[in-house]
Amino acid sequence: MTNCRALYVHVPFCRTLCGYCDFYSEVLTAGRAAPLVAALVRELAGYAARGVFERFDTVFVGGGTPTVLPPSELDRLLRAIHAYVGPVGRLEFTVEANPATVTDEVAAVLAANGVNRVSIGAQSFSRAELRVLDRTHDPDDVVRTSAQCRRAGIRQISLDLIFGIPGQGLDSWHESLRAALALGVEHLSCYGLTYEADTPLLRQRDAGLIKPVDEEVETEMYETAIDWLAGAGLPQYEISNFARPGAQCRHNLVYWHNQPYVGIGPAAAGFIDDVRYKNVADTAAYVEAIQNGRSPLGEREQLAPARRAGETAMLELRLVEGIDRQRFAERYGQDPVVMFSDAIARHGAAGLLAVSVTHVRLTRAGLLLANRVSADFL
Amino acid sequence: MDQQHIRNFSIVAHIDHGKSTLADRFLQRSGAISERDLKEQVLDDMDLERERGITIKASAVTIHMEVDGETYMFNLIDTPGHVDFHYEVDRALAACDGALLVVDATQGVQAQTVANAYAAVNNNLDIIPVINKIDLASATPEDAALEIEHVLGISAENVQFVSAKTGEGVQELVRAIVQHLPAPQGDPQAPLQVLIFDSEYNDYRGVICYVRVMHGTVRKGQKVLLMGRQRTHQITELGKFRPQMTACDQLAAGETGYMVASIKSLHDVTVGDTITDAAHPAPQQLPGYQPPQHMVFCDFYPSTGETFDALREALERLSLNDASFSFTPQHSDALGPGYRCGFLGLLHMDIVQERLERECGVSVVQTAPSVTYEITLRDGTRKRVESAGDLPEMGHIEELREPIIELAIITPADSIGNIMQLAEQRRGEYKKTEYLSPQRVLLTYEFPFNEILYDFYDKLKSMTRGYGTMDYHVIGYRASDLVKLDILINTVPVDALSLICHRTKAEARGRRFLIKLRREIPRQQFEIRLQAAIGSKVIAAESIKPFRKDVTAKCYGGDVTRKRKLLEKQKEGKKRMKTVGRVEIPQKAFMTVLEPED
Repeated sequence: MTNCRALYVHVPFCRTLCGYCDFYSEVLTAGRAAPLVAALVRELAGYAARGVFERFDTVFVGGGTPTVLPPSELDRLLRAIHAYVGPVGRLEFTVEANPATVTDEVAAVLAANGVNRVSIGAQSFSRAELRVLDRTHDPDDVVRTSAQCRRAGIRQISLDLIFGIPGQGLDSWHESLRAALALGVEHLSCYGLTYEADTPLLRQRDAGLIKPVDEEVETEMYETAIDWLAGAGLPQYEISNFARPGAQCRHNLVYWHNQPYVGIGPAAAGFIDDVRYKNVADTAAYVEAIQNGRSPLGEREQLAPARRAGETAMLELRLVEGIDRQRFAERYGQDPVVMFSDAIARHGAAGLLAVSVTHVRLTRAGLLLANRVSADFL
Repeated sequence: MDQQHIRNFSIVAHIDHGKSTLADRFLQRSGAISERDLKEQVLDDMDLERERGITIKASAVTIHMEVDGETYMFNLIDTPGHVDFHYEVDRALAACDGALLVVDATQGVQAQTVANAYAAVNNNLDIIPVINKIDLASATPEDAALEIEHVLGISAENVQFVSAKTGEGVQELVRAIVQHLPAPQGDPQAPLQVLIFDSEYNDYRGVICYVRVMHGTVRKGQKVLLMGRQRTHQITELGKFRPQMTACDQLAAGETGYMVASIKSLHDVTVGDTITDAAHPAPQQLPGYQPPQHMVFCDFYPSTGETFDALREALERLSLNDASFSFTPQHSDALGPGYRCGFLGLLHMDIVQERLERECGVSVVQTAPSVTYEITLRDGTRKRVESAGDLPEMGHIEELREPIIELAIITPADSIGNIMQLAEQRRGEYKKTEYLSPQRVLLTYEFPFNEILYDFYDKLKSMTRGYGTMDYHVIGYRASDLVKLDILINTVPVDALSLICHRTKAEARGRRFLIKLRREIPRQQFEIRLQAAIGSKVIAAESIKPFRKDVTAKCYGGDVTRKRKLLEKQKEGKKRMKTVGRVEIPQKAFMTVLEPED
C-alpha cells in the first residue's frame, strides 16, 4: 500500500460566497462547524487505521475559508492533524486564510498547532476589483493579516493574486504586484481569472453586465508577472506560481509530480494506490456518511498505467523545469520523448516545447498555450 | 384463396397521423400478434425510424380477417412516410388495389395527406378516408372529413371514424375495406408479371424482394427474369409475412409476399422492376419502372483520426440494406480522399449520416448538400454536376440549369403573408392558392430546389407556429443566371466550401458567409484570412485573429481528474474537424454554406 506523505483537508465554509469561485463552498451557519470538524477528524483517523500513511510531510488545509471556523473548532481540527505530522524540520503545514477572517486569536491557534505557512486570498489590492470579485475585504486587511501571521511566528506567507479582472488595467495589476512584493512574501500565486461554468460571474459576462479584459492585455499581465517577479527574486516555478528559492509549495509539488496524497472533507480529491477519488460535494451528506461509518466517496477512478503516465506528463509540464526524463522513465518504463514522440515533434516544431538531455519543458510561448500542448499528452 | 377474398391495400398518411398504430391494430385484430406483443409500431423495425417517428422501409404483411362469417386475406402494404421517398411510395401503391387515407382528427388534412392522396389517385386506387384519433379531447372529426371532401374531392360519405389506439371503429373499418375496396383482378393463367415494390437485405438469406403478383402464378424453384435488369435468378423461397416470414410453394395473381432468389446485393435489384418467367417471358414490363434518382449530393470525409478505409467499410456495410444511396470515391484538394454520396433527399442524407456514426461508429465531416445541376458547355456537351466544386470554369459554360420543384404548403391563413415574403427571398414563383376552410389554405409554388435545401422547412414551421406542412416533387430543370462562389482560406480555395448561387445574390451571400465562417472556425495559433471570390474577383474578406493564450491557471487543488477531463473535452472538440493547410475547420463550418440570407 502507498505510503502517502501529503494531506489535503477541505473546509467548505465561507462567510460569503464569491461570484467567480467554483470550489465547493457554502455559507457557514450556526451549529454546522462542530459536526464537520468531528467528521474530518474521524475520516482522518480512518485513513490512519488503514495504514494509508504514517506521517505527513506536507499538509494543506484549504477551502472554502478554513479560518472562518470558530477558533475552538479550528484548534480541534489542527490538533488532530498535528498528531500525524512528521518532524518539524521536514514539515510544510499550510492553512488558507482570507483577509479579515484572521484575528490574533486565530493566528495564535495556527502557530500553536505547527502551522508554518499561510496562504492569503488577497486577489487584488484594488477596492473596485475586489468588489467585482465579490470579495468583502479591504486591501488594508491583507497587510494586517500578513502582519498578524508574522507576529504569531508563521514563517512563510503566500498571497493569491488574480489578473484579468473586469475593469483591471495593466497599471492596476502592476500596483497589486508591487503591493504584494512590499509585504516581503515568500510565495505568490498569480491566477488568470477563469470564467468557470455555472458561476454568477459567467452569467454576468454572458448577460453583458461585465466586460472581460482583452486577451492581449491579459497576456501582457501574465508576461509582466513572470518577468517582474523573476527580477524581484521570486522566479516562476509553475504556470501560476512564483517563489523565493527554497520556498516553493512542496504540497502542490506533490500534485504536480503526480504523487499520492490523502484528501479529506466534502469535495476533497485524493490519490491513493493509483485510485483517484473525490468525496461527495455536499457537507450534510458527507457528515452523515462519516457519522454512520459509510464511505463519503462520490467518484472513484482506478488509473491504468497509460493514463497515469499521461497525467504525469500533463502535470509536470506545468512546472517550469518540465518533465524529468530519467525519473519519468523509471516510473513508466519509457523515456517521455519516445512515449509522446508525435506530440513532442509537433509542438517542438511550433516552438512550444523544448527538449534537453534531461527534461521536456514548455517554452515561454508554450507556457501561454499550455492547454493545447498538454492535452496532446493525454 | 380466390381473388374475391383478397384485398391488397396501403395505409397512407401524413407523418404521425397514426398509420403504423392502425396497422398494428389490424395485426392484433387478426390474431397475427397478441395484445401482449403489440408494442408500438411493429412494422417499423429500425430504431432510427422509431425515434424519428417515420417509416423508412416499406413492409408487407398478410393477415386473415373474419368478416360476416367469411375469411378474407388482407395484404397490408406499408409505405414510407417521407417526402424523399416518393418513388418508393409510388411503387408500393402500384402493388395495391386500394388505400386507406388516414387523417388525424386533431390536425386535419396536411401537405403529405394531399401528396399521398394524389399518389393513390394516380395509381387508380379506390380510397377510404379514415379519420383517426377520435378518442382525443381536441378531435374535430367532422371538420377533418369536410376538409377531405373539400380539398381532395373524396366523398365524405364513406369516411370511417376510428381510434387506432383504443380500437374504436376498427371493426367497421374492416367491413368497409371488404365492401369498398376492390378485389385484385389478375389472370392466374396469363404470362407471369410480378412487381417488386421493395427489397431488403438479410444476412442469412441475401436480398428479400417484396412482391405483388399481377398476373400468372410464381412457384418455388422457378427460373425467373428481372426484366429491367435483364438478369435471371432461380427462386429459392417464396412466402408471406405473417408478420414473421412464412414460406409457401407458390403465389398466385392477386397475392402479395416475398421472394428469395440468392441475389447477393441490393444493388442487383431495383424497386419497380418486373419479374417474369425466364423461359416464357411476358411481352412487356409493368409500367412505372425507374432507376433510383438521386436528387441531393454531399461528400463525406473521414474526420481527423478516422481513416478512409474505415469510412469505405462503413458505407459498404450501410449500402447492404439501403440501396437507395450511392457512393463514389472523391478527392478534394482541400479535404483529401472521401466519398461523394447521392441521396433521394435531405432526410435520407441525414439518416445515412446518422447511421454511419451510430451504427458504424465512424465520425465524418460532411460537406453542405448540393442539388444536381445540368450544364451545357460552349462546345455543346451537356453534363450533370453534383457540387459547386465540380463546376468547370464559368467561361466554358454556355448554360447552367437548376432543378425546379413544385412545392405544396398547407398553412393557417394568417401566415400567408410571411410565407409569401419567404418565398420571394428564395426566388419562389407563386402558382395558386386554394382554401381548405376559411382558416387554412393550400399554397402552390415553384422553387429552385437549392433554395429550400437547408432550413426552409424550419422557417416554415416557425412562421406558422408549427402548423405549416409541405411536400414537393421535382418538375424539371430551368436555365438560370447562376455563378460559382469560391471561398479561400489563407489564399487557398477550399473546394468543399464553394457554392452555386444566383448572380444577384452572390455578393451579399459571400459577405454573410464569411462572417459566419469567422464565427465557426476557432481561432488558431496564427491569423486566418478568409476571402470570397467569383472567378478571380475577390468580393469579400474577413480575418480571424490568432489566440494568444490558452492556459488554465489553477490546477483545482488536487482534483487532477477535473483538469484532465477539461483538457480531454477540449481535445474532443477537435474531432469532426478537417485540416485544410494548417487551419482546422469544424464540421459546422461546412454546413454554414447553406445558411440563409437573413
